[in-house]
Amino acid sequence: MTRQSSVPALSCSAVTVRYGPVTAIAGLSIEFAPDLIHAVVGQNGAGKTTFARVAAGLVRPEHGQITVNGRPLPTGSVPKARAAGVELVHQSFALPPSFTIAEAMEFGSTRPGGIFSARSLARRWKSHLRDLDISADPNSRIRDLPIEIQQGVEIARALVTESKLLILDEPTAVLSPSGIELLFDRIRRLKSMGVTVVLILHKIREVLAVADTVTVLRGGKHVAGPLPCTELESASLARLIIGDGTTVREGGDIKALTGAGAPESFERTAVPMTETPARTTAPLLEIRTVSTAPDSEGPPLSQIDVSLQPGEILGVAGVEGNGQRTLVRAIAGHADLISGTILFSGADVTRENLTERRRQGLRIIPFERNTEGLSLTSSLWENWSSGALLQGSLLRYVRPAQMRASCDTTLSRWDVLYHDCRQSAGSLSGGNAQKLILAREIDDEARLIVAAQPGRGLDVGATAFVWDALRSARDRGCGVLLISSDLDELFDISDRVLVMLSGRSVGEYSAPYDLQAIGAAMTGANQ
Amino acid sequence: MSGQLTSVLRSLVFVLFALLLCSAIFQTSGFSAVQVLNSIAEGAFLRPNAAAQSLRWGLPLFITAVGVAISFRAGYFNIGAQGQFYIGSIAAAICAEVLTGAPAIIVIPACFIAGMAGGAFWALWPGLLRIRSGTDEVITTLMGNFLASLLLIYVTSGPLKDPSGSGQQASSRPLDSSYRISDSLGVSPVIVTTALVTGLAMWLLVNRSAFGVLAGLAGRNGQMIRWLGAKQWQLGLASFLISGALAGLAGTLEFMGPNGRISSGFLPAHGFTAILIALVANTSVIGTAVASLFFGGLASAALYLPIMVGLPASAIDIINAAIALFITAKSAFVDRLLRVGRRDHG
Repeated sequence: MTRQSSVPALSCSAVTVRYGPVTAIAGLSIEFAPDLIHAVVGQNGAGKTTFARVAAGLVRPEHGQITVNGRPLPTGSVPKARAAGVELVHQSFALPPSFTIAEAMEFGSTRPGGIFSARSLARRWKSHLRDLDISADPNSRIRDLPIEIQQGVEIARALVTESKLLILDEPTAVLSPSGIELLFDRIRRLKSMGVTVVLILHKIREVLAVADTVTVLRGGKHVAGPLPCTELESASLARLIIGDGTTVREGGDIKALTGAGAPESFERTAVPMTETPARTTAPLLEIRTVSTAPDSEGPPLSQIDVSLQPGEILGVAGVEGNGQRTLVRAIAGHADLISGTILFSGADVTRENLTERRRQGLRIIPFERNTEGLSLTSSLWENWSSGALLQGSLLRYVRPAQMRASCDTTLSRWDVLYHDCRQSAGSLSGGNAQKLILAREIDDEARLIVAAQPGRGLDVGATAFVWDALRSARDRGCGVLLISSDLDELFDISDRVLVMLSGRSVGEYSAPYDLQAIGAAMTGANQ
Repeated sequence: MSGQLTSVLRSLVFVLFALLLCSAIFQTSGFSAVQVLNSIAEGAFLRPNAAAQSLRWGLPLFITAVGVAISFRAGYFNIGAQGQFYIGSIAAAICAEVLTGAPAIIVIPACFIAGMAGGAFWALWPGLLRIRSGTDEVITTLMGNFLASLLLIYVTSGPLKDPSGSGQQASSRPLDSSYRISDSLGVSPVIVTTALVTGLAMWLLVNRSAFGVLAGLAGRNGQMIRWLGAKQWQLGLASFLISGALAGLAGTLEFMGPNGRISSGFLPAHGFTAILIALVANTSVIGTAVASLFFGGLASAALYLPIMVGLPASAIDIINAAIALFITAKSAFVDRLLRVGRRDHG
């Protein structure tokens, strides 16, 4: 590692980026040595993409400095970043689909424009593509290319200038395993050509396969690295990404919530009401080998099986973006199933719509509290009553005064702090807004409750409230499917934990939970 | 109620601002602002018969505006009321033509139904385009207005042409007097009753039905209501069709009432004033009723202005435009309008 002593290809010091009240990255300082392949890893929301966007000049940080090859780079300017040799390949491809490859190359080049024919353009860029071993006709249109070639063209586009530093944001997310191999070959080639590559990844397997060093981010902060990959094993990397070391509890929610306690002691604190629910009855929810068609809302499900008994909390763990959202959409009847069946208490509901499923007791606490869970500009009573109003004729007579009165009764039972149920839902704090959703979704007819990230963004007290609500629903005999990226939350209140990876279920665990095994399953390190 | 009250007060303040701005404009153009405002007040409300005149314009406006308000509530920016109004009047005229000779007790209800169906149809296709392929209803309903105007020119100078017409303005044959629902004054028991029944029905629909609450939620956050099992498009399309049907009904009233015939380009501002009324009223049904009387008054004053102060009738358009400016400046609907422009940039 003699190169470590030379001037870093990219260094950022004390970079902080805030989007409104959200801190995306906080005081981040990293140095990347030249001529190596660096991986940056972390869960969703760790700040990886923001970091890439800062380096490429797309985002101007609040504080902090970027230097490229020792020279300071003015932040927040893409042309200046490109002039310094920094290029970013976006997570979702950014080439205009109607352009030909040659046009896209010319579009990306910084040469002064002029008049040219299609033929001269094709001639100009043919050799560039050949140098990068991309076998495609420069006259074919971007939208007609297979995804691997498109990515190759993206990379070629990024290299039309004399780029010295290439950042790829989750380049493997859209690729098949063989496509990933091809990409890694390309990246190694670039390295041999003297390009420093920064790869944003979230699968440990891929990091260890291609990268020279790895840097771990968590919650917008720098956790470790760049660490040489040769000295790392997947288990310890998994622990760095997920962050077990500090946040483990021994007993009681408070330790789980505050992250106190010692590692390696995963005693489950929740005690289910019945030791083993009567297995002779049909499960409350049964998902049998369900696969979904790919769509824009996240990775599809692939042959997933889930079974949930009454009186049970089943936790779903997984690095975000591995099909959890599609799972919830499939249960809601919003995803396009290509195979498999979904059963509620043994009855096939695959073809039933959400209204019918809700009639049978399905309740959902959606991922996004403020857009999917509530209408922020509508009043509390409208938000609260909408679930019940949808069960029944649209033209039936309703009395708002009566609905407001029962809304008041329910909301005070749920300890929601508010002045008047005619105030807008947007005026509630996050915790109270979540309680409003709970008040609507955990009603007397609820039997199967799907809670997606119910504790996200809540303070300790509100999170504990949500957990208690889910537990008491479980104790009443409801089945609860809890999707969370917070392992402490899952371990503390789940009776079983299922791990999702790439739209599949890759393992099921029961207490005492083995963090090592679950962490490895989440990141695919054990494959 | 307090929220509704503040929104009414806010609208009033904006109307006052608009009147002040217009006064300044009139003053600088060499008219006495006090005299202009005075004659507007007189023309609208104070002179004998003014109340009846204001109702004559206000009642059809109310029917159209309450429909527009319902589509706004559900999140559909239907700005095609003018076209739906025309198509409704054309459908009613065709129906009357076909049924000529039948007793009035059959023809009048049939024309009402035909007019509402025509208006609803003119809202149906933009609604379906929006649902099926996401085509912006602002653009389709706006284009629909032009198409409807052209269609009106065609039927009044073609199939329904009045051969004895003067030739200055193409018109349909006059409706047989036994089918007329009012004289040219335009205020009759049938028209007043129609407006009252419409108002009551729409008030019940908005404020006392599950549909009203849910369509309001769908208009504010369709995603949320989808996660509760609602078919957002159903709520939206139903509101959209109601809106078109009511504009068509207003067209029918104008045809069978004060006008007695349809003419190319008649009442060219009706649908747009109705949009303005829905915005001023912040889509509330009662607010729409009040605002309709106010704008009906302005419309009736427009005819009075040239006589009294020598201002052209289109001075009222300046007032309407100024009100529109102030109201939309504060309204969330501006965002929806801007959406069209934003698409061009990016």
